[in-house]
Amino acid sequence: MNKTGIIFFPAFDWSLGEFHPEREERLLYTQEQIFEEGIMDLPQVRQYSPGVADLFDVLRTQAIFPDFQQHNLDAHLIAVGSSLVLGNALMKKEITNGFALVRPPGHHSGATVWGNRGFCTLNNEAILINVLRAKYGIKKIAVIDTDVHHGDGTQDIFYHDPNVLYISIHQDGRTIFPGTGFTEEKGGPNAWGSVLNIPLLPGVGDEGFLYALENWIMPAVEVFKPDLIINSAGQDNHFTDPLASMNVTARGYGKITEMIKPDLAVLEGGYAIEGALPYINMAIFLALAGEDYSGVVESQKPQNTEIGGDTIRSFLTDLKRTNEAVRPSWAFRKEPFLPAGDWVYSEKSIYYDTDGFKENRREYIRKCSHCGGTVLMISQKPSVFQKAVLVRIPFEACPDCEQAGYDLAETFQKSEKTVLLQNQLRNQVHLWTDGREVNPFGG
Amino acid sequence: MASLIGIDVGGTFTDAVMITNGVIERKGKIPTNQDDILNTLISALDYLQISKAKNIETITVSTTLVTNAIMQKHLPEVELILFPGTGMKLSSLPWPVDYSVLTGVLDYRGRVVVPADQSEWQTLAEKLNQQSVKPLTAIVSKFSHRNNVFEEQLAAYLHREVPGITTALGNQSGKSNFYRRTLTTYLNLAATELFQNFAYQLKMAVEARGCRAPIRVLKADGGVLPLAKIRPVESIYSGPAASVLGTLAQSNPEESYVVVDIGGTTTDIGLVLSGSPLISTHGAQIGPFLTNVRSLAVRSASIGGDSAVCLDQGEIMLADYRLGPAYCIGGISPTPTDALRYLNLTDYGDLQRAEEALGMLLPENQRTASDLRRTAEIIVEKMVEKIARAIQQLLEEWKTEPAYKVWEVLHHHDDFKFYIQLSGGGAPGLEAALENRMKMRTVLTKFSEVSNAIGAAMAKPTFSWTLHLDTKFSIYRIEETGEQGIWTGPKKPHREVENFLKELAQKQAAGLGIETDDLEKEIFDYFPLVENYHTVGQIVKGAMHVPPGVIGRIQS
Ligand SMILES: [Zn+2]
Ligand SMILES: [Zn+2]
Repeated sequence: MNKTGIIFFPAFDWSLGEFHPEREERLLYTQEQIFEEGIMDLPQVRQYSPGVADLFDVLRTQAIFPDFQQHNLDAHLIAVGSSLVLGNALMKKEITNGFALVRPPGHHSGATVWGNRGFCTLNNEAILINVLRAKYGIKKIAVIDTDVHHGDGTQDIFYHDPNVLYISIHQDGRTIFPGTGFTEEKGGPNAWGSVLNIPLLPGVGDEGFLYALENWIMPAVEVFKPDLIINSAGQDNHFTDPLASMNVTARGYGKITEMIKPDLAVLEGGYAIEGALPYINMAIFLALAGEDYSGVVESQKPQNTEIGGDTIRSFLTDLKRTNEAVRPSWAFRKEPFLPAGDWVYSEKSIYYDTDGFKENRREYIRKCSHCGGTVLMISQKPSVFQKAVLVRIPFEACPDCEQAGYDLAETFQKSEKTVLLQNQLRNQVHLWTDGREVNPFGG
Repeated sequence: MASLIGIDVGGTFTDAVMITNGVIERKGKIPTNQDDILNTLISALDYLQISKAKNIETITVSTTLVTNAIMQKHLPEVELILFPGTGMKLSSLPWPVDYSVLTGVLDYRGRVVVPADQSEWQTLAEKLNQQSVKPLTAIVSKFSHRNNVFEEQLAAYLHREVPGITTALGNQSGKSNFYRRTLTTYLNLAATELFQNFAYQLKMAVEARGCRAPIRVLKADGGVLPLAKIRPVESIYSGPAASVLGTLAQSNPEESYVVVDIGGTTTDIGLVLSGSPLISTHGAQIGPFLTNVRSLAVRSASIGGDSAVCLDQGEIMLADYRLGPAYCIGGISPTPTDALRYLNLTDYGDLQRAEEALGMLLPENQRTASDLRRTAEIIVEKMVEKIARAIQQLLEEWKTEPAYKVWEVLHHHDDFKFYIQLSGGGAPGLEAALENRMKMRTVLTKFSEVSNAIGAAMAKPTFSWTLHLDTKFSIYRIEETGEQGIWTGPKKPHREVENFLKELAQKQAAGLGIETDDLEKEIFDYFPLVENYHTVGQIVKGAMHVPPGVIGRIQS
């Protein structure tokens, strides 16, 4: 029997708008279900009270542009904070695993944040992971993202980080938001292979999902040997989900959870408010607590025909072959502002679907054989002619990369309005506005 | 000048007071006879001379009758019939009673997913008919607080097929969860006859003394209800509630404090936030039974003036049981009361015997004044430590209460300036030590020795009405009463829901003899129900309470 922690934070007084799928009603029926079942009365279960994350923990992981005061972060800070409460409980060995059943979700929120994307503003799991690394010295963490959407934000945050393995299994990006997560995306120059994407054909049910887990995902996790496993537990693979077309059942989710054995699961998407969420949340929860979840049965039956058997097995075998054949191709670039070293260059355009604008980003990564490499992101919100810069010195940075980070911060703080330095190595965050360092944390 | 009478039946003593216009006219303690609660109560009423009193407004009792019956397993057998539906396996939770299971599934909104199987009902009726004693039958279905259909239909069927059957239904206490609701329904049904006999005899005894005052019973949530209206199971654990209310009646109405009531074997601890007692977010637990009985958030530390003090490998230990009264008043074992007496922190008991008691804990050659003093100090320290830990646990529990809204999280722990209100036996002797340990101002409650009886006498009636309205299905339900009915209002109601609930509350309160002047409203939640991008209705949740409190204050 596992000692399982739960935080249930449905944010009943927060919503993105009246007709938005990410709505206050999302966890209403889950509440009815888990309360009525008496889950909190299971002797091995401990319910925790939500927490509020502080800005330092956010800015260590994500750059909030042009400044944090322009966003209403209350609900998001509680979703993050609640994940941190469980993370701390896990580290103190009060629990053996935990489920942060919170909204709003977070996995579409990336390294730079100008607004809300895919209902996410802050990335719950990414902030949690970096707290666990900074505060408890955890070295290697695997994230398994079982949401039907590609967790592009989490991938973005850890793309250059060799110590975080990001695995996402999702519906093919050509058929669904956010349009990323192809098997060729395998990580940056210093972290090649630390990203694994498994885009699935629409219609794959429990069978295909579990096949991929057993034959590809879990073996990859085993090779990586993480100290901790985090599950981005999106629930939109369910056969009743209105935004996606996978065919997974609640008991399928129970089985997925049993196979992944996450130390912490954090709720992501899932918009079948009535048909899926109450049942899946129950199944995941029971699986985490080591209880029998076979009694969790949806009131509706799956209608769609499932792609199963040989079709899905040969599809996945081909996909795996493609994945293994991909070789990196880096574009190097020299710029007057870049310190010594080889800098890999890429460009990215990020669409904020909730608010309807675009962010353009230029990214420079210092190629390094000793560490994850310093990262420079020059980010722009063209609609309002705003520009901001993020410099990240990674966890366990080598001296050269650390120095490169300081040099970049010094260069840009003079020329740019907003510059954020995430010094993950020294657990420091510095922010400059108009060339002056400001302390956003108060006190 | 009408008088209020309060009687609190405690483990060792029963407190009794008569209060007129906020002044204590008579007060006293008599020994409790746990095997005869009724006679204990009647003796207490005789002690107060109720037959001579001119004008008694109410008599309020806090009784351990039901608690004792449950703890000593003196309850009759009950047939427990469950419709557990789908979801978590019944075997995941410990069931302190036997049950049988029937077919039928409801979902979280009360929709029938799998109908009941009437052929099973027939078999059940045949089995019940074969029993010689007509059975007490408790019927509970999962989600019956959303739809009582299975419970009502089976009960109707059994009443037709099994003459003389008594049934109790889970939806009559419509709060989640299924497990707690089942055990509550079971306990309440099992305790009903016992309680009704007790109520009848108490009423007769009071009337025989020429007193026509209504008799009320204190509940675990610190409220009172008339003897005839209370659900027996609600009378459990009213003792700690009485301590909290007693303190409330003797302190400033706006203050926030920790109530610490030191008894013989246990110390009850409660929390008052700006004059309102804190209610537990879970239901009360009694022995192995988790219930959904609303109760005050209280903690009971197993330490009191009579706790046995013993030696464990040369170290002084405080046991969590008593071996009779303190040595200094004729007991057989050293106790904290002896330590307090020896240190002259109290004047209760014989000083010479207190010294002897402490001596029993030391080798003969070490019974010097300074050794005895040190031993007494260690006992007091350890007692204070146990109490302090229980206080910290309760404060922690309050701080970590769940919250489900952004607003609640952000305004969760507004600063309260707490102090300690200390009452009970030995309280004066522990005041300084507790203040020192907790770094909190500690104040002695004035009529500390009868504080619980004061609490009972001055407690207000309480009640809550929690509405769950699903306008898509046009069904409303009241959790506390189990009432379920048809909603004829609009699909997207706003303020009319509050008026609806208020009228309902006022009507039912009148039937219970409760005044609703200070009906407190909780913020109502409105969830839009959207199907295929169309709003098809709303789920509305909201509650109104008559909160626990006291009528006026004791004049000191
Ligand atoms: Zn999703
Ligand atoms: Zn480096």
